[in-house]
Amino acid sequence: MTTRAELKARVEALITSFEAGRPFDAAARDELIEDLATWQARRIPEYGRLQRRGVWPPALPTDVFRFRRIAAHPEERDLRTFRSSGTTCSERSVHLYCDLGLYDFAARVAARHMLFPDLDRMRLVILAPHEDEARDSSLEYMLARFAEWFATQCTWVWQRGALDLERLTEQLRSAEASGEPVAVLGTSFAFVHAEDGLGDRRFELPPGSRIMQTGGYKGRSREVDSEVLLTAIGARYGIAAPRIIDEFGATELSSQMYSTTLREELDGSVGPRRLWVPPWVRATPVDPDTLEPVDGDTVGILRIDDTANLDSVCCIQTADLARRLHDGIVVLGRAPGAIPRGCSLAADQALGEQ
Amino acid sequence: MTDDASVVRARAAQVLEADALLTSSTIEERARWLAEAASAVAHKAHDRRDALAEATGLSVPMIEWATRTTLGTITEDAMLALARDTSMEIGRASEPISMLSMVLAGNVFTASVRGIVVPLLFGIPVLVKTSSRETMFPSMLRDALRLADSGLGAAMSLVAFPGGDIECEAALIESAEAVSVYGSDETLAAISSRAPDTRLIAHGHGVSVAYCGASALDDANIGNTIDGVSLDICAYDQRGCLSPQIVYVQETPQCSAADFAARLATEGLGPRSRSLPRGPLPMAVGAAQAQWRGMAEVEGALLRGDTYAVAIREAVPIRWSPAYRNVTVAAVRDIDEAIEAMLPIGTNLKCVGANSASISEIETRLGSSAALHAYACAIGSMQTPPLDAPADGYPIWHGLFRA
Repeated sequence: MTTRAELKARVEALITSFEAGRPFDAAARDELIEDLATWQARRIPEYGRLQRRGVWPPALPTDVFRFRRIAAHPEERDLRTFRSSGTTCSERSVHLYCDLGLYDFAARVAARHMLFPDLDRMRLVILAPHEDEARDSSLEYMLARFAEWFATQCTWVWQRGALDLERLTEQLRSAEASGEPVAVLGTSFAFVHAEDGLGDRRFELPPGSRIMQTGGYKGRSREVDSEVLLTAIGARYGIAAPRIIDEFGATELSSQMYSTTLREELDGSVGPRRLWVPPWVRATPVDPDTLEPVDGDTVGILRIDDTANLDSVCCIQTADLARRLHDGIVVLGRAPGAIPRGCSLAADQALGEQ
Repeated sequence: MTDDASVVRARAAQVLEADALLTSSTIEERARWLAEAASAVAHKAHDRRDALAEATGLSVPMIEWATRTTLGTITEDAMLALARDTSMEIGRASEPISMLSMVLAGNVFTASVRGIVVPLLFGIPVLVKTSSRETMFPSMLRDALRLADSGLGAAMSLVAFPGGDIECEAALIESAEAVSVYGSDETLAAISSRAPDTRLIAHGHGVSVAYCGASALDDANIGNTIDGVSLDICAYDQRGCLSPQIVYVQETPQCSAADFAARLATEGLGPRSRSLPRGPLPMAVGAAQAQWRGMAEVEGALLRGDTYAVAIREAVPIRWSPAYRNVTVAAVRDIDEAIEAMLPIGTNLKCVGANSASISEIETRLGSSAALHAYACAIGSMQTPPLDAPADGYPIWHGLFRA
């Protein structure tokens, strides 16, 4: 019988193989996904109850993480708990870890490949709370690890629930003066707060600088169209569009996807803005009725099979809309406005959780 | 089509001017004209069924069913009966308001019919803001009213503008004595804040449920029960506030909730999906559907068809479905347990469909509940309310007369 240790070793081997630049073996990844699903279905009753409808193995909806404990290990072995920041519903997704080894490995290798491929370490400015202020946020955990792995120095400019605009300005002016490239990392809503608060302050960040933005708004700032925000960030910080990198992550996942833009600029290739899917992850837009993969570049709902989700569920059905583009994925968001809400729909929001 | 505030004001002035002509007619004349207009709309809707399907996102057979069943309630007899009953309830001395403005939602395209016909019957001019998604059907109704009688037609007009346009919303409301709003809680709050002194007739978010007592499950009745419940679910693709989201089933030794769900799927929703096909599934709804269906599998069981699903789960907690023919079947011991399960829905509960043997008991329980304002009706008729059916716990004429 397959053991956890064997599965973990296979996931590590998959990531290591990519890190070493060896050819990608899709069949090995797919087989690993199936084996993980089989192992997890035996240990997590909620997952075991899913019907084998559509592509096997079935994908667990992200909503289940809001209402049920999803873990292959007993409660006493919980090491770290990540919770979603919450949107319109009172319940938050909970992702439990008894071991952060695979999370760290996957996060480091993906960020090295897509966000920091050209510099071993660099100056980081983070528009998000420090890990100590948000112990249950997977994003803050990841950014804290980035500080350890990739930073020459790191400054958090979001403190006690607010963006410190003066500190941000001071850090960026300092980078301008020194000519040392800087990576500014934060949530989309933090960049909107910066836009709203910085007034006519503009920056010309040194060559080699970059920006990583992630996440939605969740009511914490005005919402800005992604293209508009991209243009605004470029103009504000003096950064070309390819160096503004979108990151896609989720509480229910252990791996992240990044825009291909920086990597393509460095490689001298050109392509449309899309998300790179790490080779230990499978991202598939599926038909909402059949849950089968959609054809070509048709919009579907995004299913993500993340092999780094060892101790929860590997196969996740998100509520995000997405389509394939070239070798990557474009995530279109949740389009809540598309749901007719005139009377009985969106009852979740209307009536609250019962 | 988008109107600016000056157009909205001009149309408001036009319908107000028509008041004298409208009130110079008798209620019998207006009932006749309105019935003629409804009949004309039925023919027009049949001719333009493909375009209506495109505009509403419903299938063509559903358009045909919806227009036939809705417009069929607008008869001279029904309107005169409503007028008589209203007169008895409020007294002949009560005066109709001078003008009603109305904000329509887009989820059930025929919802405008009762909302427009009833005030006109009582001699009240109506200015209607249509849903940005669906203007075709209200336009058909307006044109038919004009053909039936020019005075009646002049007393109803349409405007269209994006929700949240403060100037247009102010123009819509400023001449009206009351404003009737179908929409989300956000829409209601926004309109209310624009005109705090104008009477608000609120038709906010709502959901409905069905109750099948033990007798509905016996051999003699189960076929009709399944037929009626599946029609209630499929009508308007379950997008309306009268669409049942949950079917409470009083289990019997012969028929468990799981048995009922299986028959609902195979003998009800399956055949209905062929005679009244579901419209295209919006992708955002599809995303919610995948989540809801997965939760149902985790917490209970799920029966899937091509364009429908039945979840079998506990009555509590409620997991609201994204509609589009995704329904929950929940076992209950008796009516008491069903009513208990409905209580958290509160005033958002609009209608309880029940088998004939249970209706009077459900009515009694609803009538004595301080928390629930829903009305009861027979299974199979949830989506075809008669002209005089209550709305949001009030008589259909609520808000149309001065105190």
